[in-house]
Amino acid sequence: MATTTATITLSSSDITDNALSISNTATLTTAGTDTGITETTGLARVKTSSGSNTLLLDFGLTGGVAQDVTADKSAKVYIKNVNDRGDGTKYVDILIKTREIGRLYGGDWMLIPYSGGSGEDIEYTASDTTETTLEYVVFYE
Amino acid sequence: MATTTATITLSSADLLSDNLSLSATTTLNKGGTTGTGLDQFRMERFKIATGTQFDLIEATTAASEDANYVYICNKNTDATHYVIISIYDVVIGRLYAGDWMFMPWDSDVVAVGAGGSAIEVQAYVAEAELEYCLFHNGETKLTSDDS
Repeated sequence: MATTTATITLSSSDITDNALSISNTATLTTAGTDTGITETTGLARVKTSSGSNTLLLDFGLTGGVAQDVTADKSAKVYIKNVNDRGDGTKYVDILIKTREIGRLYGGDWMLIPYSGGSGEDIEYTASDTTETTLEYVVFYE
Repeated sequence: MATTTATITLSSADLLSDNLSLSATTTLNKGGTTGTGLDQFRMERFKIATGTQFDLIEATTAASEDANYVYICNKNTDATHYVIISIYDVVIGRLYAGDWMFMPWDSDVVAVGAGGSAIEVQAYVAEAELEYCLFHNGETKLTSDDS
């Protein structure tokens, strides 16, 4: 087994009267066990110049990585919008099963658990046709 | 405005044949700005019983079409305990004991009739103790909740 950790630190010195500092480390394990996850896509990069929905992770794919992600387990997905923030109006909508989760502005990242399942694809839609670059990693079993 | 940063470090010495070490930091800014920080947030720690899907964060027009960020952590310690996190009826995934997640959130209340965008949570196997933090833009309270 492997040991993979994900650490988050949220910090601010001025969002409250007192400094905010939240830090947490999760060890990525298979579902319901203390056994480390052993499969990953590795870090990947995709680009799009489309303003339409684009598949990032196709769960129904008949081959490739998505097929190997077992539904309803303990997969994790990391996504980062690598673009510069620019004027702050450009972003990428992240969707699961065409339902919008939220907007990743330039430089933003996210780490979510991913259940997958039929039709539970992860998609993204850029706010315009400016070339947008995303990086992602999937950890799965 | 405030300056709030979110940093992630993903690391492993033995998942791949070489070290995995990935780090990223973002500043939580308001949408449509070059660098104006979000200055409102809420944080809570609570427990939920099994068997019911609860609204963790209800959809609101104040958080629609903008930059909002949600952090959720499952504070349970038994590896078999998990919660399912959903955007209304669309499952995002299972957050097992000790896991955390961080994601952007667009509270699209326009879509309520078609499913809405409330963040919902349901515990499985056992009662779950959760922490969450929502960084958001604009929740100016104008009327009392019971008016």
